[in-house]
Amino acid sequence: MSSSNSRAARSNGNVAPVIQVERVSRWFGNVVSVSDVSFEIRPGITGLLGPNGAGKTTLLRMITGLAEVSVGSISVFDQQVRNNPDIYSRIGVMSEHETVYQFMKGRDFVKMMGQLRGVSNIDAAADKAINLVDLAEASLRSMGTYSRGMRQRMRLAATIVHEPDILILDEPLNGADPRQRVQFQKLLLQLADEGKTIVLSSHILEEVEQLADTVLLIVNGKLAASGDFHAIRAALDERPYHVRVLCDSPRDLASALVKLESVDAVYVDPDGAIVVLSRNVRDLQIELPRLAQATSARVWRVEPLDDSLESVFGYLVER
Amino acid sequence: MMFVYKLTLRQLSGRWRLLITLLLSALPVTMGVIWRLIEGDARPDHEFEDFALNGMLAASIIPLVSLAIASAAFSNEIEDRTLANLTLSPIPRWKIVVPKLLGALTVGGFFMVISAFVTSYIAYSGDMTTSLAVAAGAAVEVALYSSVFVLVGLMTNKAIGFGLLYVFLWEGLLAGFVSGVRFLSIRHYSVTIVNGLDDRVFTEGEHLSFAVALVASAAVFVIFLALSIQRLRRMDVP
Repeated sequence: MSSSNSRAARSNGNVAPVIQVERVSRWFGNVVSVSDVSFEIRPGITGLLGPNGAGKTTLLRMITGLAEVSVGSISVFDQQVRNNPDIYSRIGVMSEHETVYQFMKGRDFVKMMGQLRGVSNIDAAADKAINLVDLAEASLRSMGTYSRGMRQRMRLAATIVHEPDILILDEPLNGADPRQRVQFQKLLLQLADEGKTIVLSSHILEEVEQLADTVLLIVNGKLAASGDFHAIRAALDERPYHVRVLCDSPRDLASALVKLESVDAVYVDPDGAIVVLSRNVRDLQIELPRLAQATSARVWRVEPLDDSLESVFGYLVER
Repeated sequence: MMFVYKLTLRQLSGRWRLLITLLLSALPVTMGVIWRLIEGDARPDHEFEDFALNGMLAASIIPLVSLAIASAAFSNEIEDRTLANLTLSPIPRWKIVVPKLLGALTVGGFFMVISAFVTSYIAYSGDMTTSLAVAAGAAVEVALYSSVFVLVGLMTNKAIGFGLLYVFLWEGLLAGFVSGVRFLSIRHYSVTIVNGLDDRVFTEGEHLSFAVALVASAAVFVIFLALSIQRLRRMDVP
């Protein structure tokens, strides 16, 4: 099953929500970290997307009960999480920090985490979890000798050793190399197909796009958008892009560009570069070489001016 | 609880921490040996008791060692963010705090009780009653300071600073000069317990009775343990 097919199969709005966040806010002194956020999370993979400092980690910490909410309520399996330790037998949490004991061997770490979570056949469970993250060979080494990616994988093994129903992963792909990313993504998709609820935070759009059924977009502590990834993507695609074009005859090319339907505005900046505002960058990509040829302009460089994730998020918040 | 206890023992048994604790615990023993070498078979007078047992061991070494070890029981885990590994487990908070405190007691108590016993055994010519009384007093003092400093380690990342202020200002300065403060002084509970356990050698304190010191010690230990459990329940775990 391809990832998009399995994603479609998992998407089921009729399934009861597993996590419910209602009008939650959290502030630290005068700083509001999370502001009046409400959403529900169902089985499958939910991506929590937002730029660094948006409030994703604070939100996840409140969902896991590590942090108190200032206002609002959070329930998991219809129970409160805060001061309800029993619920952690059903939740696996992997924070963004490297919460490992450097002196401990990888296998001992996974075993300890399993024992703390009440796993009975701990040796078999630890072996299974370690094999899933493909770290059996390194499992008898102390974690101080691991690379960052290896520590992340061993932490994931420790997170899933008790086979939780919910996995909450804060920036889990940080430090992973491309091969580990693919392996990590496969594992998460497999777990989601088994009916697990996975909440995954990231500040990288593509990372979430490849995995998540549903996306929650957090910007400046607020829920900027939520829903199916394609809806979010469509919203992103609607925004106007600024494209900078460097060429030897900017006025001629600018006059030609402004006639295009896909172009909203064109101006030549003081440096002699053309700045194009367009809502259809794909059309612009096709038309620009043709117009350059027609006007005998030599194009040296074409670059997006606002393709950073922050500007994308900024656009969505301002809409 | 055993996992948390073993983990705590491992975390608190860093090479430098153990080495410094060992050196500090050797100081009163050295004083006992010097006393024996200078005074021969003479029984120690109050000067030795005041300087080596009360001043050095009870007023300085035990509180400092307890501070260094007990405050680290949680503060190190908070600093390196591994505390969430424990608090995200389906175990009640007291099952985290109690083994943490016991771990701190084991590491700190081991050195301090042996130091107290050996010092008094040497100084008091092998008097077992006296040696056991001093060792028991040291054990009580380590337990009480540890229960206080475990809480301090949970409340602030400046536990050592606050602990030093408490030890030298409250226990050292104020309890030394203001008699009423001795009713709220761990060091004076400990000294009173030693005096009560061996009244042949030590004179009972003027301000506290043996029974009051015992009850107050138990109360301090339980109250600070309960406060630590409550603190872990309510705090935001990093």
